[in-house]
Amino acid sequence: MGVLKPDYDSVSRGAGDAVRHREKIKEAIRKNLPDIISDEAIITKSGDQVVRVPVRGIKSYRFIHEHADGVGGGFGSGESEEGKVIGRRPKQGNGRPGRPGEEPGVDYLETEIELADLLEMMLDDIGLPNLRSKEIRESVITRGWKPDSIERHGILPRLEKKRTIKEAIKRVEVLVQILMQRSGMDEEQCRAALGGAEGDFDEALDRLLAAKNRQPARMDSAPSDLGGLAISSSDLRFRTIEEDAELRSNAVVIAMMDVSGSMDIMKKYLARSFYFWMTSFLRVIYKRVEIRFIAHTTEARLVDEYQFLHRGESGGTSCHSAYELATNLIDTEYPTSKWNVYPFHFSDGEDWDVERTFNSLSKMLERGVANFGYGEIQAEHSTSVLMEAYRRRIGLEEDRLGDLAFLRGSRAGSPVLGVIIRGKSDIYPALRVFLHSTELKSGGQNHA
Amino acid sequence: MKKLNEADRLIRQIGAEFGLDFMEQEFEIVPARKMLEILAYRLPVNYSHWSFGRDFEIERTKYRHGFSVPYEVVFNSDPARAYLMETNPLPVQVLVMAHVYAHNDFMKKNSHFRITRRDMITSASEAAQRFRRYEEDYGREAVEKLIDAGMAIEWNIDPDELIRPETETEARDRLYGWSGNPPVESRFADLFEPGEDLPPEVKQKLRRKTPPEPTMDVLKYVMENSPVHSMEWEKDVLSTIRGQALYFLPYRRTKIMNEGWATFWHEKIMSRLFAIGFLSSDEHGYYNLYNARVKAHSPRSINPYLLGSALFRNIEMRWNTGRFGPRYESCVDDDEKRNWDLHLDKGTEKIMEVRRTHIDWFFIDEFLNREVVEELELYLYQESDGGSHIELKVEETGWEAIKQLMVQSLMNWGIPRILVVDGNFRNSSRLYLKHEFEGMPLDEEYCRKTLEHLYFLWGRPVYLETINPENSRSVIYSVDLEGSTGVVREE
Repeated sequence: MGVLKPDYDSVSRGAGDAVRHREKIKEAIRKNLPDIISDEAIITKSGDQVVRVPVRGIKSYRFIHEHADGVGGGFGSGESEEGKVIGRRPKQGNGRPGRPGEEPGVDYLETEIELADLLEMMLDDIGLPNLRSKEIRESVITRGWKPDSIERHGILPRLEKKRTIKEAIKRVEVLVQILMQRSGMDEEQCRAALGGAEGDFDEALDRLLAAKNRQPARMDSAPSDLGGLAISSSDLRFRTIEEDAELRSNAVVIAMMDVSGSMDIMKKYLARSFYFWMTSFLRVIYKRVEIRFIAHTTEARLVDEYQFLHRGESGGTSCHSAYELATNLIDTEYPTSKWNVYPFHFSDGEDWDVERTFNSLSKMLERGVANFGYGEIQAEHSTSVLMEAYRRRIGLEEDRLGDLAFLRGSRAGSPVLGVIIRGKSDIYPALRVFLHSTELKSGGQNHA
Repeated sequence: MKKLNEADRLIRQIGAEFGLDFMEQEFEIVPARKMLEILAYRLPVNYSHWSFGRDFEIERTKYRHGFSVPYEVVFNSDPARAYLMETNPLPVQVLVMAHVYAHNDFMKKNSHFRITRRDMITSASEAAQRFRRYEEDYGREAVEKLIDAGMAIEWNIDPDELIRPETETEARDRLYGWSGNPPVESRFADLFEPGEDLPPEVKQKLRRKTPPEPTMDVLKYVMENSPVHSMEWEKDVLSTIRGQALYFLPYRRTKIMNEGWATFWHEKIMSRLFAIGFLSSDEHGYYNLYNARVKAHSPRSINPYLLGSALFRNIEMRWNTGRFGPRYESCVDDDEKRNWDLHLDKGTEKIMEVRRTHIDWFFIDEFLNREVVEELELYLYQESDGGSHIELKVEETGWEAIKQLMVQSLMNWGIPRILVVDGNFRNSSRLYLKHEFEGMPLDEEYCRKTLEHLYFLWGRPVYLETINPENSRSVIYSVDLEGSTGVVREE
């Protein structure tokens, strides 16, 4: 016999191992979070819930010759002459010179991942910001009632008919099996007997045994309404209900960003990238967290999120304008007696009037904000004006989280964190510091 | 189905008339998913591993987007087992069956296939069950890590092991003539007289030397001598990986020949089937289309179907007409050469012989010539910076340069030759490997990561000596607890 057409519907092994492979991709992504989240493509494509990210480390390594994977050259066939271009492929990476042997084009395997998954990985990695457990007061908003659980006792209007019948069927099936064993009669007879005895097991067994003894006479049966199914009180199931309420945090984040001319494209990108991830992150954790956006040059104004993340401006820099607007906002909409206020500010620190800015900041801190985070984006070798002033006058001390050094308010009443960002690779550590280190702060917590 | 069984009978008959020699042949017609799974897992049923899952996804993506449609897979078993894609239209299915039968002949007759085991399909399916049990007993992670490491060196094996497996004791007897027989071929032959009584301390030293001589079967050496992974199940996992690699090695070493042979013969068999009217002239169009696809030029790689069949055709023609040997080679008259015909009719005989004895490396080395390179317009391309893109540019079309590089790339089934030199390096059970440099440097990143796998398998520091092509000096990569990324030292 030569040709067969067997039936193939067995479980797909390929699909199962593909899942494991995807798990490994996730592991690889997790290990490369700092690289991945600083990828410009992600935040510029806002609204897109699926992002493409490069992954490493899931190749099958073995001893191979350099360029054995076809990178660099190879053989081909077909119409050709020397010098003819037979194809092109895009350059990989961002043009950084790699070490020899590292990062050839096929080194990366691009994969798609949902933004939500990526955020979840970050959450796993960074941990819950401590805002949640200690600091956020949440108010309860009642929306009505919703079903909660299923119980054995309850009032008749809340009887769950479906569940009750299900329980009855379950019980009857078990009883029928036992009856069959004990009486040696067949299934139909046992079912009929149980129905006739209105669900009473002993009665049904008696009937069956009696019937067996006076064989071959047929036994009488009286099927009940449910075709032999009698509902016992132990089958009854009731719904319970509970108040439908939602927890609403009363934390507010005031995101301030310097959009002046001195903030060049790269600096703005770094600030936006930070805010993009921070707001995405907070929204994963809190269904409703208030986030207000303030963009400033020499003047500050409230903008919406899209403008905040996408629009550039130019002009001089006066940070006090932003702090004044924020203080105003706290006074009018988010009094610290009811709200935990988290102002953040990103700037390149080239402030025109440091004295006034510092005074405005002090006023804002006096309102009793939970924590103020300041990120200063510095070009290489530039000297910091603002951070230096804050450090001296607020009394910030150096601290360290992983590789990133940061500054922390040391006195009571100065719940301040300062981070200096010099490049893409600092974004992720900065997020960690701001979101995570709030737990470490001492002054602010007592104060708030 | 009836028509396919009829085709089966006819192809067998026609093939036999052509002089092909078949094992029993079974065909199974399978749906796409099963086919893709076989491609990814290498075998109809195999153990679980994420890399197979990855390959399955890659195959499925290629298939769904129409980049590649697999027609068949055939296994060297007895009876030979072939899987045919159920979506193949009838004339294609017949083409594929003819193709499979030629593979069948090749696997039966080629000396490198003949020595491999023919029960791999069941053996792999049994291994799959054992591995599942190991996962339950020792944890999925542990099994996966071991498979990862084993597969990293799966091709670092020695095909001679199939012909002449040898223990270390046997190797010493052979090398030093201790069994009473004089050493056959040995680098120590000039040092010792056969059977000479050595001073006990020298003998003892030689006894302790492991491996007795450098071995390219790194996987076997590690499997048998690892100081850390010596449990039964661990040996079973590694031995299964090695067994499968040995089984697939002839496929790897004869890719061009095997596919070329199958294509060469399916064309002959198909034209006979059309000639006797088994397939209609309407179906001829279909056949032509698919056959052209099988033999299509490939701008960035070598199509083995195309190159292999062209070479067999060329050999057949040369041996039919007597275009070989010193008289032909030394002839300088182009016209005379073009019309050269000694009416030897030794073409069939010659290709039958070549398919019996050769592997790709020698096949290309011996038979690739100017005619074939020019007929197929083979070229070598290089990548260069073209501004915003990398450009792939034709670099070389001269047949001698192409041949030389192709032969080089086929050496040692395309992987670097790496030998275990010392399993007790510095007298502390460290593993010392040496790369036999043949002009092609190792890929550094792959090399380091593979050494990390080896370090996991060996459990003690591992060293690999190679040559830095820039200054031709020795470089030693090492992996140990601290420097797992590989400290590079030059010596």
